[in-house]
Amino acid sequence: MSKNYEAEKQTFMGVPRKIIPWWPTIDYDKCNFCMECDKFCPHNVYAKFDDEKHQLKVKNPYNCVVFCRACAKTCAPDALGFPQKSEISNLIKKLRYESLGD
Amino acid sequence: MIARSVALKLIEKCPEIQLICPVLLNNGDEKYEKFIKSTKIIVIDGCMTRCATKLVEKREKKPFKRIFIPDMFKKYGIKLTKKLLLNEENENLAVQIMEEIIKELEEVEVKEILKSSKFETLEFFEIAVDKYHFKVPKEGYYFNENDCWIKPEGKTALLGISDYLQNVAADILFVEFPEIGSEIEQFDDAGSFESSKTVLQLISPGTGKTIRVNKALENNPELMNQDPYQRGWFIEIELKDFIEDGELLMKGLGYFEYMKEKIMKEKNIFEHIESEKNV
Ligand code: SF4
Ligand code: SF4
Repeated sequence: MSKNYEAEKQTFMGVPRKIIPWWPTIDYDKCNFCMECDKFCPHNVYAKFDDEKHQLKVKNPYNCVVFCRACAKTCAPDALGFPQKSEISNLIKKLRYESLGD
Repeated sequence: MIARSVALKLIEKCPEIQLICPVLLNNGDEKYEKFIKSTKIIVIDGCMTRCATKLVEKREKKPFKRIFIPDMFKKYGIKLTKKLLLNEENENLAVQIMEEIIKELEEVEVKEILKSSKFETLEFFEIAVDKYHFKVPKEGYYFNENDCWIKPEGKTALLGISDYLQNVAADILFVEFPEIGSEIEQFDDAGSFESSKTVLQLISPGTGKTIRVNKALENNPELMNQDPYQRGWFIEIELKDFIEDGELLMKGLGYFEYMKEKIMKEKNIFEHIESEKNV
């Protein structure tokens, strides 16, 4: 399961995925690099970097499914954060509205 | 007094239960005409005059359950006092009666869901990929891109997961519902379900208050796999503003096209399920 989706062409509700800022943020003060989140997510969002200080990174943010927060549940130290849902849905509505106006 | 207390406790516990005002009912108030015909009536009689029973009988309706408070006193071995105020023993009795009614209601509801008598036949868009079969109802359902559906019916709506998500999850073993009465916003997590493979969330396609959960899933979670659009519904909400929700939802055909694309892109996920099943 290492396939990268063609993020360039992805859309969410008709809005290009690349302009929707939704993906997990890792709080490195809390993360213990157990890799449960990476194991859980089927979308290849995270990646492991064994030789680096931060062994876990968000490698493919646009692979993350907008409004999904499922991996946060697997994180025991509660190190994963997501944007404000209402801000993102308002942004999507606004972008959709603008594109209709074209 | 006890009858009143039982009734109040019932609506507190189950907000979907409504009180019927006996005075208005007696006056032949139009307001109750349709309501009484279409719903289950619980009659609680406080004394020998049994006014509540008589009023309902006048409407030619057979009550779902009849409670006669003096009988309950006997059943639970409690003495009647002449005092007008409820003592602690009476209060406890009211709680017991209330719980008895709720248990019975739930059992009947589960049976009804299992029999699926109240669901109509649906027409589907369908596609088969390898061994998997995916269906999307043509009418009446709206979807978000998180593979959850909402089916509005007036001011309320049922919510559930799509056939696609059901297939991704594989055999569902446990469900966890939001609390009755909890407010859910569109794209909030509205409960979760667990298969041997994963835990997934239902991401709400609508905004509203949780008023009912599908109790049948507690003992029969496989309904979500077998019949995700009907008997496998997850929760019911009281809608806040479906027109606004609709701005970020797709109808059946739109979702079907979206789902097909997703299946092709994520074929590897299904291959993965297959290989796990074969282990
Ligand atoms: S939120 Fe969902 S899609 Fe995004 S990284 Fe977590 S599990 Fe993957
Ligand atoms: S599950 Fe939490 S603690 Fe574990 S690697 Fe992921 S972010 Fe870090």
